[in-house]
Amino acid sequence: MVETDFLVIGGGPAGLSAALEASRRGVKTLVVDEGIEAGGQLLKQTHKFFGHEGFYASVRGFEIAKEILNSLGDNVDILTMTTVTGVYEDVITAYDRNADKMIEIKPRFTLIATGASERFIQFENNDLPGVYGAGAVQTLMNQYGVLPGERVLMIGSGNIGLIVSYQLLQAGAEVKAIVEIADKVGGYEVHANKIKRFGVPIILRHTIKKVVGDQRVEGAIIVEVDDKFDEIPGSEKELAVDTVCIATGLTPSVEIAAMAGVKLQYIPELGGYVPYRDENMRTNIPNLFIAGDVSGIEEATTAMIEGSIAGLVVASECKELDLTEEITSMKKELSEFRSGPFSEKVRSGLKRFSIDYPTHSYKDSVQRQEPPKGKLVPVIECDQAIPCNPCQTSCPTGAITVSGNINSLPEIDYDKCVGCGVCVMKCPGLAIFMIQENAENNTDVVVIPWEFALPEKGEAVIALDKDGEPVCKGEIFKVVKSSNKTHLVYLKVPTGHGRSVRNFARLQREDNRYVCRCEEITEADIEKAIEQGFTDFEELRRYLRLGMGPCGGRTCRLNALSILARKTGKKISELGHGVFRPPAMPIKFESLLKGEKSHGE
Amino acid sequence: MGNDYRVVIIGGGIVGCAIAYHLTKLGEKSVAVFEKNYLSSGATGRCGGGIRQQWSSLNNVLLAMRSVKHFERFSEEIGMDIEYKQGGYLVLSYTDEEAVEFEKNVKMQREAGLKVEILSPKEVERRYPYINTEGVKMATFCQSDGHANPHLATFGYARASQKLGADIFTHTEVVGLERLCDSRWIVHTTNGSVKADVVINAAGAFSREVGKLAGVDLPTESYRHQIFVTEPLRDFFDPMAISFSGNYYMRQTKHGNFIMGQGDADERAGINYSVTFRFEKELSRKMARIFPFLRKLRIIRHWSGHYNMSPDAQPIIGESPSVRGYYYAVGFSGHGFMLAPAVGEAIAEMILYGKAAHVDVSDLNVQRLEGGVVKEKNVV
Repeated sequence: MVETDFLVIGGGPAGLSAALEASRRGVKTLVVDEGIEAGGQLLKQTHKFFGHEGFYASVRGFEIAKEILNSLGDNVDILTMTTVTGVYEDVITAYDRNADKMIEIKPRFTLIATGASERFIQFENNDLPGVYGAGAVQTLMNQYGVLPGERVLMIGSGNIGLIVSYQLLQAGAEVKAIVEIADKVGGYEVHANKIKRFGVPIILRHTIKKVVGDQRVEGAIIVEVDDKFDEIPGSEKELAVDTVCIATGLTPSVEIAAMAGVKLQYIPELGGYVPYRDENMRTNIPNLFIAGDVSGIEEATTAMIEGSIAGLVVASECKELDLTEEITSMKKELSEFRSGPFSEKVRSGLKRFSIDYPTHSYKDSVQRQEPPKGKLVPVIECDQAIPCNPCQTSCPTGAITVSGNINSLPEIDYDKCVGCGVCVMKCPGLAIFMIQENAENNTDVVVIPWEFALPEKGEAVIALDKDGEPVCKGEIFKVVKSSNKTHLVYLKVPTGHGRSVRNFARLQREDNRYVCRCEEITEADIEKAIEQGFTDFEELRRYLRLGMGPCGGRTCRLNALSILARKTGKKISELGHGVFRPPAMPIKFESLLKGEKSHGE
Repeated sequence: MGNDYRVVIIGGGIVGCAIAYHLTKLGEKSVAVFEKNYLSSGATGRCGGGIRQQWSSLNNVLLAMRSVKHFERFSEEIGMDIEYKQGGYLVLSYTDEEAVEFEKNVKMQREAGLKVEILSPKEVERRYPYINTEGVKMATFCQSDGHANPHLATFGYARASQKLGADIFTHTEVVGLERLCDSRWIVHTTNGSVKADVVINAAGAFSREVGKLAGVDLPTESYRHQIFVTEPLRDFFDPMAISFSGNYYMRQTKHGNFIMGQGDADERAGINYSVTFRFEKELSRKMARIFPFLRKLRIIRHWSGHYNMSPDAQPIIGESPSVRGYYYAVGFSGHGFMLAPAVGEAIAEMILYGKAAHVDVSDLNVQRLEGGVVKEKNVV
């Protein structure tokens, strides 16, 4: 039997925040988590979080988990790979998968922070291997480094669908399309823009009809829907994909709360059945609290604030402390976060529990002032009121203002800006670029936030617009590496294009330009091997099997030598021609057997 | 080129590169390899690529078993796929006398901890229906034997040792060794001179000549061996098939080519890179009989390399008893590729710790040859 002041079920953002606040104030806390390590969904999040710096804005999710875990003190014990299996009259039970045994827990206070589960949708063949939930794709790809597929169809354009699509691109997969059943993108526009500028189409008013394939996904058929979300016959299109990723929303994981006797209410705005709770995150059961997605689907920052509130309330009651000030300030924080347009659903959902959040006034008019020509300045393409302000707080010269409410749109004072690019690196939505029109010699400069393999200085690229369409040629002239992994790539484009260029495509080296046709070795293979240091022709041959086919190098020797000469700057005559070996044409064993007998045979 | 190294290795074949890798892995970063041609240009890059533990001498068995441990984790440790495959070695015997020897060898090999099977000709036929077993008396089989791509293994060791700090100089021939009064060496190369505390002769076919540079007389001689390769077939032939009494070996590469060779008793000592048509005729006649599926296959490339033979066909490994600070790993007698990982490790340990820690190689120095030789018999 384990006795503890405070049991936290679920070590995600809400649970860990509660554990942090309570344990700091002397409350003995036990966190029970199913995962191999605690952190919940944070562990899979490789994007920078929105919000403000007090709640880890601009920090990537998995790093937030590390920071919170590192700041937990001695008062917290964490049991990982352990699942709470029941809330009984006498005890709470958990199954420890490591030790393969049951644990009985008797806490004074309990927080249920069990998060959410994914909503699955029905379509033909949705049981074929290759159909994944977005969470599984994130776990495989971001936690374990396994790419689930190469050509992906994403279902759903909420923030998860958009973020996972971007991460798939980062991991080297091709995202064929995102389909969205509604008539507008569900998630933040800045997240949508991140993938649109790589040319990924977001197809609205469409859904998936069926998956094609025998043993695994080989394609998917999508279909247009009408206003009632009914399929429009004849509008089917087939996409060649090997993976279908479903990101059609979440529903609170209420099992444990329900077993504990918490009243559930069906509130679609909050994601389905939701446990009752008050403003202090307290349920109708004494000393039982909930926080995070289990209390209504929202996002990680508000989960952390809810968890903090629950942790503070538990600490005040368990240790008889007056924490009114801290609790009030957290509630204010929550109220400000929830005052924007994206929180409308949550606000209306929570009204059903008589929790009322006002809509604060925030500035939602987009700055229309033209950036000055000739000076390198940021352009902030953040047109939706979302709770986020690192651009303001990171600016070393105070040139950017997010006035009043955190949901307000930023405004920039071009006179104060020195073009340092810090805001570009910090912006969680990658929505800030820098441009300098008429920089010099009829060129514009565009600075792009970049989270992919870095291009080289001097590299020629194709400049793309915000929809991923080619605009003009460009040249990379500077690359600034950032410790937060949002690097800055400085691009030169012909004058007049600075305003439209928002991305670039690296020139693909053709991978089917064969040099050695016998062994199917391409120009790119040879160039890559030379770059790896195989600059001796004989070593290059042996490394790649160049010229080791039936033709004996007749076709490829000189061409390979030319590539080697070009790449190393040496003359072909300096490289040496390599060896020539018999037979000059392939000879069958049989033909040899039919020939002259050797002496003595 | 730096001008001061702790260790200079002469020879950029598998042995030299394996020594460089193990030295740097154990923390000795001041290492230079001098290769007069390109990496793997000598015997390494010309060999059949077999990795066998079934030997008639215990020393060879133990060294080979240790090497297999290294090959098994090569790609993970070095980061290069060297087409390593443990398809086993099928050793076929065609004489009663040899069959008796094999029974003895298998007993010794099993005592050393190797899993070896003895197969009847019928069992060979059952397992490998595409082998004509006419004349076969018996066979032995060890599944953990196998083969790999020698070029890639050499490049893998070379790259990994460079990453860890070694310098590798190709097209740089060592032309002189000079002893300083503080017992250090000056190594003169075609591209300048460097100083070294320790010099290692890993010169393969040229081991005797490189020995002479230091006044060390190594009892090695190089003999030409020829080998050819066919166009590729789909990969189906798992083992290395070999016979000492039948005088042949053959394997299929990962790529699908069949690579095969035989020894020639008439060969004279010396360096000779040419090839004979007689070899092509003899070997193709023999192999088409034993492996009938070869008949329609085409031979695409034929080359030669050298066995650096020692008097007892076992490698000569250690520090020269007469010239301290001069080590050698030579005389591999046709099986240097397969022993290189263990020998590289042993030499590195000897230099850094005074003694090989994983395999006892104390019997493998030149002194063993003074009182007559017991020859390793399992050589093609």
